[in-house]
Amino acid sequence: MTGIRVFIAGMGVITPAGRGVDRLQTLIENSDTALGMPNLFSISEDQLLPAGQIPDLFGNIQIPRTHQLALAAADEAMARLPGTIDAVIIGVTTGGILTTETHLKNGIHDPEKFLYHGAGTVAEYIAAKYCCKGPVITVSNACSSGTAAIKLAMEMLRCGPARRVLAGGADSLCRLTYYGFKSLQLIDPEGAHPFDKNRRGMSVGEAAAMLYLVADKNVPENAVAELLGGGLSCDAYHPTTPDPEGRGAVKAMKAAIHDAGITISDIDYINLHGTGTIDNDLCEAKAVKEVFKSDMPLLSSVKGALGHSLAASGAVEAVICALIVANGVIPANTGFCNADPAMDIEPLKNPVRVKVNAALSNSFGFGGNNASIIVGDCRKDRNVAPKSLAPLAVIGSACITGAGDMKKTLDRLVSGKNCKGLPGHVDISGLIQPSLVRRLKRLPRMAMALASSAFENSGCFEKPSSVFWGTGWGPLSETYDFLKKLYDSDEKFPSPTDFIGSVHNAPAGQTAMYFNAVGPNVTTTGGDYSFEQALFTASLMADDISDPLLVLGADEYHVHFSPLFDRSVAMERTRSDGGGAICLVKSQEQNKPIILPVFFGNADHDPDIVSFLAEKLGGNEIDNCFGAIFAGIPMAFRNRGEEQLKNFLKFTGCRCPIIDYRLLIGEFASASAVAVALASVFKRTGKIPGSLSGKTDGSLDKKGILVLGFGKFLTAIAIT
Amino acid sequence: MTTLVDQLKQKVVETLNLVDIDAEDIDVNEQLIGGKLGIDSIDILELVMMIERDYAVKIDSKELGAKVFASLNALAEHIRQNSPETIN
Repeated sequence: MTGIRVFIAGMGVITPAGRGVDRLQTLIENSDTALGMPNLFSISEDQLLPAGQIPDLFGNIQIPRTHQLALAAADEAMARLPGTIDAVIIGVTTGGILTTETHLKNGIHDPEKFLYHGAGTVAEYIAAKYCCKGPVITVSNACSSGTAAIKLAMEMLRCGPARRVLAGGADSLCRLTYYGFKSLQLIDPEGAHPFDKNRRGMSVGEAAAMLYLVADKNVPENAVAELLGGGLSCDAYHPTTPDPEGRGAVKAMKAAIHDAGITISDIDYINLHGTGTIDNDLCEAKAVKEVFKSDMPLLSSVKGALGHSLAASGAVEAVICALIVANGVIPANTGFCNADPAMDIEPLKNPVRVKVNAALSNSFGFGGNNASIIVGDCRKDRNVAPKSLAPLAVIGSACITGAGDMKKTLDRLVSGKNCKGLPGHVDISGLIQPSLVRRLKRLPRMAMALASSAFENSGCFEKPSSVFWGTGWGPLSETYDFLKKLYDSDEKFPSPTDFIGSVHNAPAGQTAMYFNAVGPNVTTTGGDYSFEQALFTASLMADDISDPLLVLGADEYHVHFSPLFDRSVAMERTRSDGGGAICLVKSQEQNKPIILPVFFGNADHDPDIVSFLAEKLGGNEIDNCFGAIFAGIPMAFRNRGEEQLKNFLKFTGCRCPIIDYRLLIGEFASASAVAVALASVFKRTGKIPGSLSGKTDGSLDKKGILVLGFGKFLTAIAIT
Repeated sequence: MTTLVDQLKQKVVETLNLVDIDAEDIDVNEQLIGGKLGIDSIDILELVMMIERDYAVKIDSKELGAKVFASLNALAEHIRQNSPETIN
């Protein structure tokens, strides 16, 4: 049986070359560089370093720059295309932070001014502009985010829940990344010249790029190029330094080639990650030589021309690969003059005009996150394997709440008390050796404690190889401390440790190092629905994974940031945080609960969404399948969520116990991760404590549990 | 009065949150990176910031860093030679 093919039917970019694909194409053909001295925010003379800043200035100061860039790229990708989109999947690392930084610098502390802070709000903003009714997923895998987002979009199209997806990446310049990379001494004062013998580092940049992707069995009329495959991996080596042997990069490239169903000799060009840092370029050179040996394709990195636009870079480079496949002009490796004898590779010094059938694009990031994708021409005869969304068995679970770990949480719930509050130091640090976590603040500690407890609880001998991590707000302590030290020292002495820790995927990278998990490692973010995104992502990727998977979600309470960013947290009197983790395997083990994300819809753009959800879950058959519902209603959406729940019960006639779990565990974005961890335990034991269900014996009668999310999005996770 | 070396021992432990190390136990001649203290390249960058802030001494390249951070004694010597103020 032939599977679904994925085509690029529209593309849009905004880069330091200017607005639009044409300007990017011109820059490529002329071998120009768009690097220069940035002036987006004030930088003292002695701190000024070249960067890739987009020349056009934007007028609307209410909307952060990243959102505006993303919309500019999306508008171009969607121009001349009819119809709607079923899903939005965008890679973003810093979201609205440039605006947040400015407000904090000016002493503004009005939560209304921070509505677009979250990295997830970029994708939500684009989804709103295009009335997307389906899933909205934000991948925050540091510098590999854009490429990883495109790989996920491919899987979503191949597995069938979506037919048209807008995928890409966006990041604007900001103080956090500008001064952060500077504090790591990774910026080249001359501007990046990747792979050159005299290179000294990268140039930070900004950009957005979007691909309108369509699923089809045959080549559609408007197709520009085809996405052939993608691969994700993790170094599990160090928070920032790449594995010196390039093993993770090799794994990602090989996975992409395997996924595409082609061989190395089919690849005509590699768009290298090539940031210009000494270590990245050295490791990548080693990795491509390991994969391609004497069959080396043409090579170049565009970061000497455009700078490194972090989450956007992979998406921009996917557009470049599509242009190469369509037009046959390969960009030069701008800035490359002298070959480095330590590397023995020769990137292109000048643009080359040649027919390219397939181009491989690499992106690597902090947390050891690696992603490779392959873009090919639209040939008629291509067979691809069919794929499907995999149900997974829960073999272990863990949670942290105000009560403490899973056991303490259950004890408290059984006694009829709530578990709101902030867990103490011991509960968030678990049993992990103190020297291993000395650099970690609250969120990564929680992630590692959850991961190790869920694995221990599974009793499984085989360690998880892949990590799917959802967080509503990312590491707030590290982000706050970085900006505070930056501002307190007049932008002179920010902490490199805080910068490294501030990326959303840092806890996932730490978890991977703990388990030596070298498989896919994906971080998702989007307020109250971040854990759901992570679980959805795990299901999409599970087809390619044979070892156990770890899915976890957590959020920390931060005294300054949480009430500023999260309206539900601001409204709740008791401060709470925590999270949950589940350890999963693909095989359907006997007596183990099966978990499947069955619904993810955008309530803002679909008035009929509740009836659609009810129908999807079997309408009035629901009581025959499920013995309890865990309902997640964030306090900021109380009225709306309760109305949605009421309608859901009306449409389904459902009479099973409803557990309004945020009233029990408190307000924090990944509260649903706790609900899923608890529900997995209840399903395994076959009963729910009477204090929760209101029934004396609490038996589930072998039925499943539904975990529903209400508010801006409607989500459903079935545990059966 | 504490010497520069004693001061640095304390600052290294505090800056890097070396939870299970007693400042007094640090051997001033032992290699800093990859030694018993468990210090890596990120820690070194954190120390670079601390030294610039507290002693106004810049260490801005990897090559220089490798020499300066060879040991605590080497670090103290570098600070003494390059600080705008006289330090004992």
